[in-house]
Order: sequence, then structure tokens, then C-alpha cells
Amino acid sequence: MSKMGEEILKAVKINKSFGITHAVKDVTVSFYKGEIHGLIGENGSGKSTLMSMLTGIYSIGSGEFILEGKKLNVKNQVEANRNGVSIIVQEMGTLSGLTVAENIFLGNEDQFVKFGIKNAAAMNRKAQALLDQYGFHHIHASTMIDNYDFEDRKLIEIVKATYFNPKILVVDETTTTLSQAGRDELYKHMKRLKKLGSTVIFISHDLEEVIRMTDRITILRDGELIDTVQSSDVTEDDLKRLMVGRELSGRYYRTDYGEPVSKEVVLSAKNVSVPGQLRNISFDLHKGEILGIGGLSECGMHEVGKAVFGASYDRTGEVALADGTHIDSIPTAIKHNIAYVSKDRDNESLVINDSIRDNICLTSMDRLSKHHIILNKKLDQFANRYAKIVSVKMVGVGQFVSDLSGGNKQKVALARWIGKDSDILVLDSPTRGIDVKVKADIYALMSDMKKQGKSTIVISEEILELLGMCDRILVMKEGAFSGEFKRDPALTEEDFIAKMV
Amino acid sequence: MNLKEFQQKLKTNKFLSNYLGIILLLLLVLVFWAVFKIITPGNFGSPDKLLSYLQSSLIYAVGGCGLYFICVMGLWDFSVGANIVLSSVLACYFSQQLGFGGLILAPILCGTLLGLLNGIVYIKLNIPSMIVTVGLSLIYESLSVFATQGQEQILSPAYRAFGSYPANLILALCAFFLAGLLIKYTKVGTYTYAIGSNEFVAKNMGVNVNKYKVVAFVLCGFFAGVMSILTISYGTSMTSASSMASMSRNFTPLMGTFFGLAFRRYGKPITAIVIGEFIISLIFNGFVAFGAPTTIQNVVTGAALLLIVTSTTKPVKGAVVK
Repeated sequence: MSKMGEEILKAVKINKSFGITHAVKDVTVSFYKGEIHGLIGENGSGKSTLMSMLTGIYSIGSGEFILEGKKLNVKNQVEANRNGVSIIVQEMGTLSGLTVAENIFLGNEDQFVKFGIKNAAAMNRKAQALLDQYGFHHIHASTMIDNYDFEDRKLIEIVKATYFNPKILVVDETTTTLSQAGRDELYKHMKRLKKLGSTVIFISHDLEEVIRMTDRITILRDGELIDTVQSSDVTEDDLKRLMVGRELSGRYYRTDYGEPVSKEVVLSAKNVSVPGQLRNISFDLHKGEILGIGGLSECGMHEVGKAVFGASYDRTGEVALADGTHIDSIPTAIKHNIAYVSKDRDNESLVINDSIRDNICLTSMDRLSKHHIILNKKLDQFANRYAKIVSVKMVGVGQFVSDLSGGNKQKVALARWIGKDSDILVLDSPTRGIDVKVKADIYALMSDMKKQGKSTIVISEEILELLGMCDRILVMKEGAFSGEFKRDPALTEEDFIAKMV
Repeated sequence: MNLKEFQQKLKTNKFLSNYLGIILLLLLVLVFWAVFKIITPGNFGSPDKLLSYLQSSLIYAVGGCGLYFICVMGLWDFSVGANIVLSSVLACYFSQQLGFGGLILAPILCGTLLGLLNGIVYIKLNIPSMIVTVGLSLIYESLSVFATQGQEQILSPAYRAFGSYPANLILALCAFFLAGLLIKYTKVGTYTYAIGSNEFVAKNMGVNVNKYKVVAFVLCGFFAGVMSILTISYGTSMTSASSMASMSRNFTPLMGTFFGLAFRRYGKPITAIVIGEFIISLIFNGFVAFGAPTTIQNVVTGAALLLIVTSTTKPVKGAVVK
């Protein structure tokens, strides 16, 4: 710890946008020599994006990284490595079809190449020496990497990222996928590098682990830097509060509390499982109820929408309507007036390169055709009527959806299902990336539907939206329900977060 | 030691991981040979016949090596057939002018240039490689018509050495050796695999993806050129093609390539391509011996193609296939 406090890396006013999403906003932060520096935040808080810019996976939007007084702007991971910066990524970072040795030295083959010919034997020898040095004797350098499981492939990545003693090592949510033995191996090398005076930037959702392993912790929220704290000064609860403590903005949620919800069940899911996504979930949806489903973005909640709509792959368990109809496919769902608005608006919800008219009429074609003949006039009337109800801002129904803003696109998607006269609406992240005004319109629409006795499932990553709009909220964690809340003005975000993290 | 550890041990055993694929392939050869030998003992599978099956499979395997660089990346090259037609007619013409030098250099040069053109057009237009190469193959075919005015080109008997043993075997072995060297002992091989495995990650590791895609097309063209030498020497004549008549020439080399892909985890793709082509050759000749009409070859080719592609592509649930 003697060298602590000496700055090695500094991020200065870093920005990055993806389309309309401003993922990283003006982040300025310093990293010290010989520290393990935690980086935490909710999904979408910008931590991975920030580190991807540092290591060359994404280009830098604006701002700069200063490493040991020099500007660092690398184009790819290999260039980052040459500058002493490496990363162990969250997903699979090794490539199938190559041997272990080829993976370790990918992009760095030149040291083994003479007159264009690669000395594979020398490469295998060096790789094996490294593997042995790390104590991974069971991994053979010349074997195809496909013959090793996920855990071993992560160990190989650890070798790849640390053998050259980088000045900066980024560990991006690697531990979640590792067993305890694998974690210990990773911790060992994080500590080894720290001893050498290198800096380890450690991203993890496991707050206990973060506090235990790190010297300081930086918290990001919605792409902004919230604070950097000494790990010894904080508790898990402190961190949670810093991670999610949003302020309430605008008063456009429902104001009614305590009104009873009908006992009549319109849809019930029993023991629904989807491999890798959902584990045995069951719930009932009542008439006129707005049911919220919340949690961290990877908790499986988005799959619930798909499962109810018959759009999941390999789903087991049953989803049934009050009359006993089983919903096992999308056509069945639509036929029985279930509507589904996907989180991925542009790819799963709307036909982007087509008109507003066609998008709105798409699921109601049967009703609009007479003896299989479809008249444009009828489509125009229909589209205009429902576009007006949701107040889509447009030149005319002939306008292409690709021209519309995110909020207006979402309105088109909703108009389609209102036009279909759906009784059960499944809305996945209905207000994602949408401005406040349109948000208010969508909330008003949800209240209207409730008054008409229609039932809604809202899946959302925004806790306040769920607290403000839902009669009942189910919280998910790792593919299963971890808590249930009834509508109550006393309910706070903290209650909620305690169940989801 | 429990079963799982034992399995892992088997999987990472040096000898097995190196030779298991070859052993399996040789077993397949034995099975197909035995099946057809039992059905038609009289006119199938004697040693001299096996040598002649091997001769045609050597030719296709050379093209298969070229296509391997393309297919590993998930790309397609359907201009190999047209490339062979054009390169072969040029080989005939230049052998008359320059002797063996012309016979060898002309098709290799022509094949390589067409490969380069394929690669550049594919990168510049940024559209599926299948469309690019089918479109260009129509043009290459037309070039062969212009070059020959539709006349059949015959290779003079003085230059047919590569049409029989041992010259054909030597040339083919040189090609296999070169392909193996490129795959195992140069960056081209490593990067080709890296791009095929995950283009995005490869790019992150500093691989110039576009450059290596063009390199793959160039190599594919080069091997098509070498295949042309063997094709024209073996067949002794070549007629220009038009209206996609050359298309069927793509498939036999391609099937060898798929053997290479299917067995690449055992680390010997080129050997797999060669043995694979021999298996295909056994099947074709088996049907011929059996008295089946030659059209049955097309049925076998078509069915095998669908079967092999289906079994070597990993389907992604919900992915849009176009």
C-alpha cells in the first residue's frame, strides 16, 4: 500500500452515445498505482462501456484516458495490451476452432513468425510454460480450445490477460460465471498484480465481494459518476443506495391507492420454465389489474413477457386463460386477444421499413378484409382512428415508421394492439428511451385500459414506474420470483432493491 | 476417476485428439467400400479401381482445400466452377505457346486473379458472398466463351503428364502440403479461424478482418487454378460454359471442404478433405458399378450437400435465415 495515492490512469470527461442513449456522461475518475478499484452500478449504468473504451473494444466518444501522463487511445485489445492494459471480459473471450496456445497469443503471433512461417512448436512451448507457471497443468497448449469447458476457458483467459504483467487489468463481471475455485484463482492474480504495483479495475454485481477485494470503489449511475469511496468506509447498503437512488421526477403516475382489484383471474402461469431464463415461475393476472414485474435487467423478467405470449423457445409449464385455453404459440396468443410489446422496439415490435398504416393494421387484417379482399380505404380509416387515440405525431398514416422518434414508434405499437381490442397487454419496458411527455401519455393510456377492465403486465427496469403504476409488483432475481409487493404509498425503492440485488 | 473426468481425459489426450478424426474417416472409407463391394462384388473396388477413384478425388480435394479457407469463415465461393472452366481453357491455349510453363502458370495466375477480384468485390459491395460469387461466375463463364468462341479446347497429348500417376499425385501433394502449412504455420490460418469463430472478437484482437477475407478468396482462387491443371490434364478437353453450366463443378470440391469442417476439431482438416473426397468418389463409383443412372450422382450430391451443411451449422434459435 506504500505506493497508494500515486495516480497511474485518469479518465477525463469521457462520453459515449449509442444512438439516442447517452451511455457514459462526462466521467472523470482517477486510478492509483497498486490498488484494486471496484466499479459498480446497475445494468446500463455505463461501467462496461467505460472499460470497453479504455481497452479498445469501443471507440472513445469524447474525452481522453491518460496513462502515466500519456494520452491513451487504442483501437483494439491487442494495442491495449501493448500499452499495458488488458481486460478479462464477461462473456466468452476465447475463440473456438483455435488451439489454447493460438488463443493466448492471438494478435501477438509475430514473436513466433520468421519469414512468414509460424513456429507452432515454440508457441506451444511458451504457452505450456505459462500454463504450468500458473499451475494449470491439466490444460494442454496444443489442444483445441473447444475441448475445454467454460471454467477452463476462463482460466486460459486469465493467463492471456495477465502473463505480461499489465499495468492495468480490467476484470469485467468475470466472477459471476466462475466456481469458487476459479474465483480464488482470479483473486490470486489480481492480488499478485497489485503487489507488482499494477492497478486492477474490478467490475462485479456481488457487492460483498467488491467491498472485500477492493481498496476504493467508484459508483456509476445512468452513465454518470456518482462517487468514489474508500471500501473500508462503506457497507453493502450504502453502495446499493448510491447505485439506484434516483430522484422522483414529474407527477404523472396513478394517484389512486387502496382500490380493490377484481378476484377474477384472466390468465394464469403455472410452473413456467425457460432454459437459462426462467425457473419454475407461477402467477395469476386478474381482471383490470396492472401487474408489474421488476428486477435487474438480466434477471429473466423480459422472458416472462415472451413466455406469456407463446414466444419463448423450449418453454415448459403452462400459461392458460380463464376459459382454459392454453397459450403455446404466438398466433394462439393473438387470437385470444393477448398483446405483446417487446423491449426491442425496432427489431421485435415494429416493421420499421413500412408505413404506420400497415404497422397498425398488421394484427387486425382478418377483421379488415372481406372475402380475403383488403381495401386501402378501410385500412386508412382504421389506422387513422387508432393513431389518433394514442396521438401519434405524424404527417399521415402513409409515413414510414423508420422516420418516427422512439416515443412515437412506441405509440404506433400500442395503437396496433388497442386496435386489435386486446384484453391482456404485456408491455416490456414500454417507456424505455422515451421522453417525459410521451411517457405521461403512455401511463395515461395504461390507466384508461385498466378502467375498461383490461389487464396489463408491465415489465420494467424502472422501479419508480412500477411503484407508481402497478396494483401489484413481482420482483425477480436469477430467473425466479424473489418478492411480491401490493400497491402501497409507503413502498420505497429500498424495499424493492433489497429483493432484487 | 469418475466418468466425467475420464471423458475429459479422452478429449484432451494428445494421441486421440490428433488422430481420432482420421481413424473415424478411414473407418467410413472401409464401411462404404465394404457395402458397395458386397452389392456389386464384380465391378467395384479392386485395387486398380481404387487407384482410379483416388485419382479423381485428388483433383477435387485440391479445390476443396481452397474452399476451406472461405467456408471456415462462413463465406461461400460459387465461382470455383467458372474459375476452373476459364483457367482450363487458358491452360490449353498457353500450353501451346509456352509448353509446361504455360500449362502451369496460366491457370494459377488466372485462378488467383479471379480470387482477388471475388475478394475485392465482396469487400467493396458488402453484400453476401454467395451473391457476389454467383454473379461474378456468370461473367467468368462469359469470358471463357469469348476466349474460345465456343470451341472445345483440347490439351495436346504432349502435355498430359498431370493427368496420370505420378505427376498428378506429386502436384496434388504439393497443394495439400501448402494448404496445411498455411493453416497451421502462418497467421493466415489462425486469423481465418479467428474470423470464422467470432469476427467481432477477432477485430478486437487487431485482426484486419477485410484483408484476411480477401486473402481467403485469393487462396481459394489459387487452389482452383491448381485444380484446373489437374482437371484439364485428366479430362484432356474443356468447353466454355454459359448460363451457370459451370455451377455443378462447385459441389464436389465443396463436399470435401465440409468433411474438413466437420473434422477440424481433430486438427487435421486437409487430411479430412482428401479422405472425404475419396469417400465421395467411392459412393459415386459405387452407384455407377451398381448400374444406377449417372443422374443419381446429382441426387447424391444434392442430398449430401443439404445433409452435411445441416449437420455442420449450429442453428441459433430464432435467428433469421436468409
